[in-house]
Amino acid sequence: MLCCLWPLASPAIDNSECLDCHGDPSLTKESTDNILNMEITESLYVDEDRFNRSVHNINGITCVDCHSDIEELNYDEEVPHKKELKRVVCASCHEEAGQDFKNSVHMKMRTKGVTMTCYACHGYHYVRQMEGASVTERENSICLKCHNPYQFHQWLPSRSSHFSNVECVVCHAPDVPRHINLKIYDLVSNTYYDSNRLFKVLGIDFDQLMRTVDRNGDDVIDPAEFDNLVLLLKQKNIHPVFHAELVADISSIAHHVNRGTAQQTCQKCHSANSPYFNSVQVVFTRDDGTVDRYKVDRAVLETYYVNHFYLLGGTRMKLMDRIGLLILAGGACAVGLHLTARILTIPLRKKNEEETS
Amino acid sequence: MRSESIDNRLRLHQGAAAKGDTGQPGQVPGNRGEAAMAHEGMIYIHPAPVRVWHWINAFGFVLLILTGFQIRYAELLHLMPLRDAISLHNYVGFAVIADYFLWLVYYIGSGRIRIYIPDLRQVVTMALKQAVYYGYGYFIGRPNPHKMTPDDKFNAMQQQAYLVIMLLLLPAQMVTGVLLWKIKGYSEYINLLGGIKVVDTIHVLLFFFFTAFLMIHCYLATLGHTPLAHFKAMFTGYEEEH
Repeated sequence: MLCCLWPLASPAIDNSECLDCHGDPSLTKESTDNILNMEITESLYVDEDRFNRSVHNINGITCVDCHSDIEELNYDEEVPHKKELKRVVCASCHEEAGQDFKNSVHMKMRTKGVTMTCYACHGYHYVRQMEGASVTERENSICLKCHNPYQFHQWLPSRSSHFSNVECVVCHAPDVPRHINLKIYDLVSNTYYDSNRLFKVLGIDFDQLMRTVDRNGDDVIDPAEFDNLVLLLKQKNIHPVFHAELVADISSIAHHVNRGTAQQTCQKCHSANSPYFNSVQVVFTRDDGTVDRYKVDRAVLETYYVNHFYLLGGTRMKLMDRIGLLILAGGACAVGLHLTARILTIPLRKKNEEETS
Repeated sequence: MRSESIDNRLRLHQGAAAKGDTGQPGQVPGNRGEAAMAHEGMIYIHPAPVRVWHWINAFGFVLLILTGFQIRYAELLHLMPLRDAISLHNYVGFAVIADYFLWLVYYIGSGRIRIYIPDLRQVVTMALKQAVYYGYGYFIGRPNPHKMTPDDKFNAMQQQAYLVIMLLLLPAQMVTGVLLWKIKGYSEYINLLGGIKVVDTIHVLLFFFFTAFLMIHCYLATLGHTPLAHFKAMFTGYEEEH
């Protein structure tokens, strides 16, 4: 919708005109840092390549859509637009996020004199499409800029495992919808398998995957269909390892981070009926950063294909429960049968004992 | 310890000879003292380090099994909060590992580890005899084909079972337990073994095995000449000769 509406409202200043100057890495201005209260040299450079990959550019948002107080460029001046531009208000587009941010500890910091801006966490010119991003990419680009999780969470067993497989807001914004992202991991290069390379090897287009894999046409890859997908990859000499991560949906509710409301009840995740694993998706990232997501049956998490992700109790293999029950029943039966025979044969033993004595 | 047990047997036989009874161990002469009197007709089977190891291990196993069930079935069991169950499971796990090394050092250091090694020439025959005893002979009152002595403590079935348990299954359970304790830190070793699910499968299958083993072990311990005889012996160290 933004793509359709914004061009009508914006003046015809092309990004390339802005980048004529701002594409120069040496472009700077002298400024005052409000927090440090000192003179600083601020870079005005915009990396065109990175900007082109940003979620805003992908969605057709131009420079002047955000810097809307630039109405025309006057090249007769040293600086062809106003020297001091208005602060960009993200919430004028991201209204819902702006509202949700109000209910957060980061907004409440203002009472202590600290103002958190949107771009302090998200950045501005290079905001990426995060749907396909890993937990590490998500955390590094946002929460870990300020927070060191190891300073807290002393109560949490296996802290490093949680930090590397669960995104912060999954627990810290308890209302946020969440899902499991499954990605193909290449153990040889220790990186996620590049989706383009993968589809090239498979000889199909992104859009053809579900037609190839989802044989019953219910739009969900069930364990049998997952078997076929793995077989398909193996036939092309790819031996996939599926990495799973518990991440939040890209939703404005993720801003609902408040003191004392984080999820600390282990059983919420670590139980077989936990709702945290109801939504499982396999994710493929296209060249332009957009992602294709396909629904996967949560039973796939219990298989050995997702061999590097195991949540105590939460994604336990039901087959193990059945085998375990058999082992315990075997032990109990052996004891029970022997004990019964032992009780029933008491008279026999007494008789034999008397005869012997 | 070995010399202590042999001395004790000698003492018992001396007592029997003094009484003029060549078939059964007899009363220890009066000047032997109270302690000797208390162990008349008995044989010192379980030295103190073995008893200490055994009961720490037993107590540890019970706690590990209870917390193990709580951890795996958090939605069904509510014995304690999951976080506490995990912490307790970890602490007790390390206590059991330390206890295992007490067992290992004692048995290897004293050379008594050989009581776990079956005689390959006889093991099949003896194990069959023992199985026939448990499955038939016991019920009709036949004597146990294996006579327990300090140097031949286990029957052929026990020898095989305990050898596999102590040298293969328990170490496997300890190693997989330690790997699962620090998944991220040991991720390279976990990957070498095929991934966390493979490690977890080994740990869980052994968990079920040890739980079933504990049931059978406790039951078989009641098959002494009285139901509590073997339990008492594991506290006092002395088994009655029969």
